[in-house]
Amino acid sequence: SVNEVEALYELFKKLSSSIIDDGLIHKEELQLALFHTPIGSNLFLDRVFDLFDEKRNGVIEFEEFVHALNVFHPCAPLEDKIDFAFRLYDLRQTGFIEREEVKQMVIAILMESEMNLSDDLLEEIIDKTFDDADADKDGKINKEEWKAFVLRNPNLLRNMTLPHLKSVMNSYFQYCTPNLVFLIDPLALSYL
Amino acid sequence: MKIFKADFDCPPWFSSSAKKLIKRILDPNPLTRITVAEIIENEWFKKGYIPPRFERADVSLDDVDAIFNESRDSRNLVEQCEEGSAVPATMNAFELISTSQGLNLSSLFEKQMGLVKRETRFTSKCPANEIISKIEKTAMPMGFGVKKNNYKMKLLGEKTGRKGHLAVTTEIFQVAPSLFMVELRKSEGDTLEFHKFYNNLSTGLKDIVWTTTDRGKVEEKDGDPFVPNSPKSAFTPKSENSLKNSSKALICITEAIVPKEATSEQQKAKGRMHTKCL
Repeated sequence: SVNEVEALYELFKKLSSSIIDDGLIHKEELQLALFHTPIGSNLFLDRVFDLFDEKRNGVIEFEEFVHALNVFHPCAPLEDKIDFAFRLYDLRQTGFIEREEVKQMVIAILMESEMNLSDDLLEEIIDKTFDDADADKDGKINKEEWKAFVLRNPNLLRNMTLPHLKSVMNSYFQYCTPNLVFLIDPLALSYL
Repeated sequence: MKIFKADFDCPPWFSSSAKKLIKRILDPNPLTRITVAEIIENEWFKKGYIPPRFERADVSLDDVDAIFNESRDSRNLVEQCEEGSAVPATMNAFELISTSQGLNLSSLFEKQMGLVKRETRFTSKCPANEIISKIEKTAMPMGFGVKKNNYKMKLLGEKTGRKGHLAVTTEIFQVAPSLFMVELRKSEGDTLEFHKFYNNLSTGLKDIVWTTTDRGKVEEKDGDPFVPNSPKSAFTPKSENSLKNSSKALICITEAIVPKEATSEQQKAKGRMHTKCL
């Protein structure tokens, strides 16, 4: 219904006007929404912003916003979520999640949660993870390995689903059909 | 009734094999009626059928909830569902990473632009069993019933709050040997009340919560406590800066923590601190 569509647009408007009122979401505005402060920086915020900003013009437009959020819908295909998560963690976009990248991310989360670990413990955590995930033992995780890893540990994708989306904007995304055709039609946006 | 006489019609678009199977299922005579085993063997049924996989029957806390909710008793119930020979689930690097605020977009939908979250975490160096019993002992006098299942707990508030009873799920994960992360999630009730509950609870849990930025407390690494070129300083500025509340202006980055017991006296006397202001 129109109301549901508007709800999504309302959310976008709220986010995009929080600091600079220009109908676009800037990085500080996303930061404010997720961290409740526009100050500072966070590795994961950067990754999320980059993935949303498909056009790479430094801002998230409504179309990009909806397109990225599509993946987080409860009915979105698992394949898409797995793929999105892979791209999130592939920091240098090499097509592999390298050990160095994992280390960088673990250090970042430890800092964020104010935990300090010795390097030994840090390496141990990464070792264990790579033992589990890196099937061909080449020191990096490729897409196939990632997929298999995630299917063994489904709660890794816990943050790839936003239950809110179901209630807020069901009519905006394609309904969950048995065939799970899941697209957002850019033309549909034009009437907003 | 028509069904007792097997007086029914199948829609015309049904295939003949489907019709045949249905006829055999809707057979009013139980002696001649098709059995489940036979249904599974039926050609039409088998097409595209994926047999369900029955996993080991983990006690789901949802079942436990149902029991809990039906009880009109406001007595504090403490039941242990399974004697845990199991260990806490291990958190691998990616699970750890996914706890980042930057990766949890649900806060985009939070009605309040406040700092009240639906889940919170703390770390502890105490053994997992100790953590569980400490939480239990602290929560019960606060008027919460405790339901345990291995390293998962459900705390249910007796009092009805703004949005019904407050229910909190607690889970313990092992991050590294002798380091555990405890996650508390509000599963029902008002978020503000959850926040209040957690504040009260954490006061009682002070002994088991591991804080590292604790006003200058530091543990000494074997050898030189000050290692200027430790791998930690090698990461890029972007990942080095983390988001802090505006009230926190100073971050102490301590050198390697040795996982052995050290009294606070020792720490204060011997500890040297490498401080970085961000």
